[in-house]
Amino acid sequence: MSRASGRVTRHGSRVAGVRTPARVVFTGDFGDRYTGGVKEFAIEAKNLRGVIKALDALYPGLGEHLEKETTVAIDGEIHEVGYYQPVRPGCEIFFIPKIEGG
Amino acid sequence: MSTRLKPEEKKLKVVGTRPLRPDGVPKVTGIARYGADYSAPGMLWGRILRSPHAHARIRSIDTSKAQALPGVKAVMTSADLPEQKFEYVGPERVAVNFWHMTRNIMAREKVFYEGHAVAAVAAISKSTAEEALRLIEVDYEVLPHVIDVEEAMRPDAPLLFEDMITRGIDPAPDRPSNISKRLEFKIGDLDAGFAAADEIVEASLKTAPVHQGYLEPQACLARFDPDGQAEVWASSQGHFVIRALTAKLLGMEMGNLRVHPAEIGGGFGGKNVPYVEPVALALSRKTGHPVKIVMSREEVFKACGPAPGSSMTVRIGVRKDGKIVAADGVFKFQAGAFPGSPVMNACMCAFAPYDIPNVRSVGYDVVCNRPKTAAYRAPGSPVSAYAVESVVDMAAARIGMDPLQFRLQNIARPGTPTVWGPKHTHEGFTETIQALMKHPGYRAPLGRNQGRGVASGYWFNNGGESSAAVHVNEDGTVVVATGSADLSGTRASLAMMAAETLGIDYDKVRPIVADTASIGYGHLAAGSRTTFATGIAVVEACKKVIDNLRARAAMIWDVSAEDVIWEDGCARPAGGSKGRFEPLSLKAIAAKRGVTGGPIVAEVSVNAGGVAPGFATELCDVEVDPETGQVKVLRFVAAQDVGRAIHPSYVEGQIQGGAAQGIGWALNEEYIYDEAGRLTNAGFLDYRVPVASDLPRIETVLVEVPNPNHPFGVKGVGEANIVPSLAAVSNAVSHAIGRRMTELPMSPPKILKALSSER
Amino acid sequence: MAKHHVTATVNGDVVEFLCETRQSLLDVLRDELNLTGTKEGCGTGDCGACSVTIDGRLMCSCLVLGVEAEGKAIQTIEGMAAGKDLHPLQRQFLEHAALQCGICTPGILIAARSLLERNPDPTEDEVRYWLAGNLCRCTGYHKIVDAVLDAAREMRRP
Repeated sequence: MSRASGRVTRHGSRVAGVRTPARVVFTGDFGDRYTGGVKEFAIEAKNLRGVIKALDALYPGLGEHLEKETTVAIDGEIHEVGYYQPVRPGCEIFFIPKIEGG
Repeated sequence: MSTRLKPEEKKLKVVGTRPLRPDGVPKVTGIARYGADYSAPGMLWGRILRSPHAHARIRSIDTSKAQALPGVKAVMTSADLPEQKFEYVGPERVAVNFWHMTRNIMAREKVFYEGHAVAAVAAISKSTAEEALRLIEVDYEVLPHVIDVEEAMRPDAPLLFEDMITRGIDPAPDRPSNISKRLEFKIGDLDAGFAAADEIVEASLKTAPVHQGYLEPQACLARFDPDGQAEVWASSQGHFVIRALTAKLLGMEMGNLRVHPAEIGGGFGGKNVPYVEPVALALSRKTGHPVKIVMSREEVFKACGPAPGSSMTVRIGVRKDGKIVAADGVFKFQAGAFPGSPVMNACMCAFAPYDIPNVRSVGYDVVCNRPKTAAYRAPGSPVSAYAVESVVDMAAARIGMDPLQFRLQNIARPGTPTVWGPKHTHEGFTETIQALMKHPGYRAPLGRNQGRGVASGYWFNNGGESSAAVHVNEDGTVVVATGSADLSGTRASLAMMAAETLGIDYDKVRPIVADTASIGYGHLAAGSRTTFATGIAVVEACKKVIDNLRARAAMIWDVSAEDVIWEDGCARPAGGSKGRFEPLSLKAIAAKRGVTGGPIVAEVSVNAGGVAPGFATELCDVEVDPETGQVKVLRFVAAQDVGRAIHPSYVEGQIQGGAAQGIGWALNEEYIYDEAGRLTNAGFLDYRVPVASDLPRIETVLVEVPNPNHPFGVKGVGEANIVPSLAAVSNAVSHAIGRRMTELPMSPPKILKALSSER
Repeated sequence: MAKHHVTATVNGDVVEFLCETRQSLLDVLRDELNLTGTKEGCGTGDCGACSVTIDGRLMCSCLVLGVEAEGKAIQTIEGMAAGKDLHPLQRQFLEHAALQCGICTPGILIAARSLLERNPDPTEDEVRYWLAGNLCRCTGYHKIVDAVLDAAREMRRP
């Protein structure tokens, strides 16, 4: 069974002044390969480490794949996947296939 | 002369000037050492035996006669390299699978292309090694072969891998094929989009495989000592990557291998991966002597990774007012003997320059009996751009709109979504097209049998890992060491950025490319990343050195570091009220380094992000001789958004070089195979790259829309310039002869055939 | 098979070397005389990276046998500068950034010098056609042509 796009609602601690979750999307067939077709998530985190940790909790082992195989675009700005990358509340995060050139 | 268009002025002293490169004198005097220029005492010569068949099973290899030849010290086969696990690892786009990689380095069960390495020897002379190759007996069971991508995709095609089931299709196919992978990117609603179009334009196009054409064949010197320590001298685009891959292929610890970067005679992506290094090292391990291997030009064509051939279909829906409402592209790429063509890049870049609400890109990675593809300058993008920009040209003509105006009307801006999801965030596409529209060449009149073509193209560029070390010498000069191979002048640009940051003269800075044991990790010099990512590391390291120098000056003046500023290459007191002290230069502070704490050094590493993509728009005028079909390029103008040109001469050079390669790709270059799947033009006589008399002056327009994520606003420049060039030439030829050309290269026989067909 | 003993002049100096019958002059220069400035790009005379002059004539050293050098005067890139003074062509190449990777540069410099010895005031077309036997993959030839024309101008000055 594969879902073209699934939603996983807020994953993160409930505290006063709760952060607007970031919209996290897998592009290409990353979702088909590792999360049974689920490609979109709402994740609350302060940095990318938090995002990866949250996804890894949902799909054990996924964190390793994200770190090794993807580049990330945060609000369109492309970065290498780094734990320290800050995540603004409500921002858009795309994990895209890692870029290599010639 | 090039035109530079800057939206803002900035007071810079070194960046933007054109000093001489520090590695220039060794290169014009023949002193510089490239991969084949290293020797060692007791060195043996290695040579590789290669398959004469395009596809065959290896029944047996008998090396006994070769081993017995006097002067032969070792013979190796794949048995001398460890088996690797079958597993796709790392960046999925590049499909690294060591099970494939070791077989490409040296064949195991089968040979998959003419030229596939089967065995190798090390001997006391070149001629002994060659004689030994002739004595190796290989028993082949020749199999049917397939090369063309459409033929390789057919259900009855000879299979390279009996168990290859296409990935990316759900449910998975129940029969094997040569299709390694299918991928798809989509946004919006294609059906609704095309339904809203006033005109729908479609074309099917093909490109032939081409080679990067670097003048320097792969070469290396390798030494594997009995204690397990090894050294390799090789030219490559990334000695750290070569170290990692070579060590894995040899089954040795990476830390025991030290790779020295030789000067490199061209790469363009083709030298991102090893070919001779694992073989030379394995032979050295077997013999206890250093081994040198230099490929011949024929070997380079027959065995080193080229760019893929392709078969593509692109469909674009457009409204009468010029808005593109839908686009659909299918891109079938030849991967060669093992999976991993750059078809994913092609799918992603194809429509990236445009704001199209309904887009789909479908890609196929297809294996066939030719060498495994390697990267070639913006890999994948020039090919898909050829298809897309041809159809964009057709669409503009269909609705009667100026082709640059048409592109401008649909151009992507910050906020425009890409087909792979994230929105564009950087400016520059609009400015680049406008710059070309303003160029006098765009309005120049054309004569008989002449035509003008324009095209645009996008490339991601790249960030990633780089390290830089900055040392202040005792005399106040500065060493800047990085691990970025210098293909074309980046050493100079890095030195310029260091000089600018430190506020000192350019000629006080000594940039070097350090080996794997002497500097922190540096990723490939590829993907247009060096001036961007390594530049950031260099600037950060210089800033750390400046903080250090301020602290030293504070100690010398006995004030606190906050009271010291660094300006124009000197430490100065901050504000008059802090006491009067003479400025201290690097040399003065270096003289006091002992009493202030020791040597003054800093090393910084980055994993650079905030990359801005590359974008170019180009114009080509051609004249076609209707009797011979020959195409003469009359004019070529390339406008590219470079962010900021650190050294304008080398930026212009990159653009001119990319344009020249594109012209060759469009007009003449292709691999020509015979019925047995053997390459018939494995040399520069018949693999026809542009020569000096083929090309006009290539005018460059450097558009500078700075990237705010780099201290000097740099955007990578090396690759984007080739992306539109194939289509620019094809559109020009199509207009000159009044017929749409849909196959590259447009060599004279093809032009004559097109001329004799209906309009 | 015994090697041949050859005596020749290279960059003005008398040299002696041993070579096999099958070794090209390019092989000899690089492997026997350690003059690695002359490059092999193709080995079949198509790329010009191995350009040298033999008795003043521009040739691809990969198309000449080592034994054919007997008694000849050979000029390679290593002899182009006069000691520490660069040839105007070498200087102009640096000024114009007429090299990127630099592998074709020795061959092109030798070829360009040969042109200017015969034709001190070439047109751009004449430069391009003379250099058509020297491939460059990095530059598109634009800055190379500019450098040669400027060197010619400089060398014509009294």
